[in-house]
Amino acid sequence: MIEVKNVNKSFDGKQVLFDISANLLEGHANLIIGQSGSGKTVLMKSVAGIHRIDSGEILYDGRNISQMKSNELNLLRREIGMLFQGSALFDSLTVKDNVMFPLRMFSNKSEEEMEERARFCLERVDLLRALDLYPSEISGGMQKRAAIARAIVLNPKYLFCDEPNSGLDPKTSLLIDRLILEITHEYNITTIINTHDMNSVMEIGENIVFISKGHKSWQGNNTEIYDTGNEDLENLIFASDLYKKIKKAHQMGI
Amino acid sequence: MNAIERVGDYSRLMWKTFSKPDSWKMFGKQYVRELHKQGINSLPIVCIISVFIGAVICIQMRINTESPFLPSQLTGYATRETMILEFSSAILCLILAGKVGSNIASEIGTMRITEQIDALDIMGVNSANYLILPKILAFVTMIPCLVTFSITTGLLGGFGVALFTEMITPMEYEQGIQYSFLPYSIQYSIEKSLVFAFIVTSIASYYGYTVKGGAREVGKASTNAVVNSSVIILLFDVMLTKLLLS
Repeated sequence: MIEVKNVNKSFDGKQVLFDISANLLEGHANLIIGQSGSGKTVLMKSVAGIHRIDSGEILYDGRNISQMKSNELNLLRREIGMLFQGSALFDSLTVKDNVMFPLRMFSNKSEEEMEERARFCLERVDLLRALDLYPSEISGGMQKRAAIARAIVLNPKYLFCDEPNSGLDPKTSLLIDRLILEITHEYNITTIINTHDMNSVMEIGENIVFISKGHKSWQGNNTEIYDTGNEDLENLIFASDLYKKIKKAHQMGI
Repeated sequence: MNAIERVGDYSRLMWKTFSKPDSWKMFGKQYVRELHKQGINSLPIVCIISVFIGAVICIQMRINTESPFLPSQLTGYATRETMILEFSSAILCLILAGKVGSNIASEIGTMRITEQIDALDIMGVNSANYLILPKILAFVTMIPCLVTFSITTGLLGGFGVALFTEMITPMEYEQGIQYSFLPYSIQYSIEKSLVFAFIVTSIASYYGYTVKGGAREVGKASTNAVVNSSVIILLFDVMLTKLLLS
């Protein structure tokens, strides 16, 4: 579990996060949602240790990252996998080499063992056929799946996903969402997903943290979200006619 | 960001770069790749430029020193001294700042804006060390070879002038390039080039690594890397010449 306690963060004197506290649960998909510019990416990057926070605490199973020295932080990072918005695959390496990269850096396994592990992860994301292709030769959805395979290759305890569905069609988005959720449950990972895709919120939102103007405004799950009484959240979630109809149907018990 | 902040930022990056690699095996692979990319791939441009500049220096020297009071060997002597003392170290590194420097800045800059460097950091890899150290060490390793190659091909360019024109005989040119030769000149040239190679690669890496924004900023970083490393090379050229030759 990751505990976020009273976190404040500012850039060049401009405060972006205000006293945020939230629990991100182990073995669950934890979604950080909010409008563009609300501070959700800053929150996720702060939790991931990419940004240093101004004050507060971020505890990874009781380990406070704001008090860690850089070598301790580096060790913790080996327990973290991250899926970036643009996949961030190394474009000079093939899909297989991308997935093997963390193993080559940090494991003492033989080349055969590393390849076996990479193949296992790629099979898990149904991408064995793209082993020897370069990132530029595969589609956006396949790139996302390759990035997921790379993120899980070292058996991470924590998985961060920054807008995993951006630029993907609805069907592929659903596949990626389900894949992330399956992996989260299968390996008991604490998964943190930063998104403003409402399909993802409804589909995999087991623990949702809503950020509005840098403040935590609401926390709950995808069944509680229909009736929060939070005006900002309702304006975000039920902005489209389709979601207004879905909400109405839900309230009518259909 | 002012100049002092930039120097501080650059020093911090170099401190992070010059540390023990996370994986020696991966470092070795990167190092060999960079040796090929920066060294072997630079040989054609070094060859072309050196041959032509050697030939031009030879022609210019012959035209400007044609006098019954001056020995005919002067042309070969002046060509050799110009090539060894200045062209094959300083000018060559200025040219390579354009090729190698812009390549490094744009490669690392693109990795920065596409979050590949963030991906390395989040994995716990020292991204500066992994990306920059092999580039610096590879170019510093290759530069003595490139300088020696440039001196040789430059002198051959001058020899070509002696062979294919009637401005000077090959014998006179050969006597000239052997006249009053100091082996220390070669050492001086290589020592200077080692410093310049470090300047080119480290400054280009700094500009690439610190890019913020998109494609426009990567282009700007690449230009800044070439301009600033060229100015610093010229500054160090003056200082090193005073230190090593006086």
